[in-house]
Amino acid sequence: MEQLTLPKEKLPELLGEIGSKFELIGPKEENGFLAFRKINDPKEVNLDILLSRVPPKSLIFQQTETLFTYAKGKDSKIQTPKIDESVRVIFGIRPCDARGYDIIDPVFMGKKEGDYTDPFYTKKRNRSILIGLSCNEPDTNCFCTSFDDSPANSKHVDILFTDIGGTYFVEIVTEKGEDLIKNLSKIFSKATEKEGTIRKETEKTAIKAISRKMNTEGAVEKLNKMFEHEFWIEAARSCIGCGICTYLCPTCHCFDMQDESTLKLGGRVRVWDSCMYEEYTHHASGHNPRPSRMNRVRNRVYHKFNYFPKNDGIFGCTGCGRCIDYCPVNIDIIEVIDKVKEVNV
Amino acid sequence: MVENKELIKVVEETVSRDDVKYVIGYKRGTYGFQIKPAFAYSAEDAKEFFYSPLCSKNLATYPLLEEKLPLRRGEEAEHKKIGIVVKGCDSRAIIQIIQEKGLEKEDVVLIGIPCKGVIDPKKIAKRFPKQSKFVDVEENNNDEYILEIGGTSHKIPKDELLSDVCKSCEYPNPPLYDILIGEAEEEFQPEHFNRVDELEEKTIEKRWEYWEKHFQNCIRCYACREACPLCYCKTCMADLLEPQWIRRSVNLSENTAWNVMRAFHLAGRCISCGECERSCPVNIPLMELNKFVEKEVKEMFDYTAGLDTEEKPFLGSFRPDDPEDFIS
Repeated sequence: MEQLTLPKEKLPELLGEIGSKFELIGPKEENGFLAFRKINDPKEVNLDILLSRVPPKSLIFQQTETLFTYAKGKDSKIQTPKIDESVRVIFGIRPCDARGYDIIDPVFMGKKEGDYTDPFYTKKRNRSILIGLSCNEPDTNCFCTSFDDSPANSKHVDILFTDIGGTYFVEIVTEKGEDLIKNLSKIFSKATEKEGTIRKETEKTAIKAISRKMNTEGAVEKLNKMFEHEFWIEAARSCIGCGICTYLCPTCHCFDMQDESTLKLGGRVRVWDSCMYEEYTHHASGHNPRPSRMNRVRNRVYHKFNYFPKNDGIFGCTGCGRCIDYCPVNIDIIEVIDKVKEVNV
Repeated sequence: MVENKELIKVVEETVSRDDVKYVIGYKRGTYGFQIKPAFAYSAEDAKEFFYSPLCSKNLATYPLLEEKLPLRRGEEAEHKKIGIVVKGCDSRAIIQIIQEKGLEKEDVVLIGIPCKGVIDPKKIAKRFPKQSKFVDVEENNNDEYILEIGGTSHKIPKDELLSDVCKSCEYPNPPLYDILIGEAEEEFQPEHFNRVDELEEKTIEKRWEYWEKHFQNCIRCYACREACPLCYCKTCMADLLEPQWIRRSVNLSENTAWNVMRAFHLAGRCISCGECERSCPVNIPLMELNKFVEKEVKEMFDYTAGLDTEEKPFLGSFRPDDPEDFIS
């Protein structure tokens, strides 16, 4: 892995150059929160706020995706939209959000040769080069370290930037990252050993700053035994059934298919859906296998902490803390898992 | 000032009544300035109840979230009351629901709290970020909030943290209650909700630009609807597929349709608790829509929602003597 450095004041120059050659996406402040948007001017990039409100999963697994359109009448033809496959650079993505992609990749891109791959997700994923940014100051509800992750983990991005004070320590992680750097003018310097040490110290300090911890040990096995437990009624009592926890989750990936048409034109769209809604499992027959909030809250917890580990060997949670930050009734997933472990079965 | 001891005693007594199923109130949350809705099924459960200026959540939404499981043959529905801790606006929400026959007065026992206004969770979290432990806040008699963080005591002028909707609240005392905790607050002169005036001063184009900026961020999670005590339709028009009033595609056009339709459906019904705006994960200033409609309803029909259970709902009433200045 190549290790370079970039003085902080050169960042606008770098982003300007990337932006002139490729599509550049980055974190931008909008209405008081951070959102990943197309960057036209490097000045728009905001690196002071830790996490974007809506996770960058929305860049690849879009909230609304038009699968095809059609016109009615004799000459009607089905048209599939052309998906842009040119290189796109996503700058400033945090390690936990990048890890979110790794967690949901198998869902859309298959696990082995021959599995179905979703063209929309796959092409957007492949065209994206991720330039990550380590978190030096984790927030209140960050708990990525509970999943053997780190606020400066380079594993899930192509290039990782770490702020070591006045300078960015830049790690080129993948071939994709290498290719990008080759394409750019030589504004990076080789990192010294001392800078490497500072980077490691910075990571250690950030890890120490994480105060919340989820104890997942034995959670899968415990959940195996308590599906019918009345604990779930208690856990869901205050849930109001909004979709914040799922829509703001970097690993939630459920969607609904809808045909939307006017008199002459129509299309099929794929839109985000949430297991927190009553309608989510409502059958055409009128039957609903998850009739109450207890069923739905239970499903969210099981999907992340039981089904995901059993199917893919990984927890469906990155520890970003958004569901805790924005739940209007303080349903705290760390507390839920703690309580799961206390339940007597 | 609400004494927690007195609140707990009242909750204990209420939940011990034979005709009460459970009591809903507040307990301390898991971090920072978060509070949690609390459900007491026994006097023991009541011990964790508390009240402080952090208790913004409108709990009136819960009685209608009750899930009634299908009855087995020979089984009879249980007719027991739900106790709820209510501030002024929460009580008005219950009145409004009773007016609309969503609930009957007999369904609830209202434990009234004379309210001095609640803290805006977004404002206080911004002022004191990164609090991983619960921090309580008290209010003194000098219009200041007092809180202690890491051994240091902070005094903050109330005005800096108070929710915007509370500044213009006309009904701090619950108009309807069964038991009142402490003494009723003196009526105070509410401020005008000036965020609406600011908007009205803008040109149509500027106003549209403003809403466009906000609506394009809407992720249609429907937290505004779910948090709202008056959004209790069994099937929301946004969920209907046949006919489909609002498409599921998330874009500016559909998002605008959703937010405007919701505001219309709350005309003469919204009681200004501000729960929708507080819940919105993308900071849409929803109360500006609601307050605008509230103002129109007040000016044109001299109607205020949620004050009297016997009054007819706004859209279900006709008064030949209403101001009707808008008809020329």
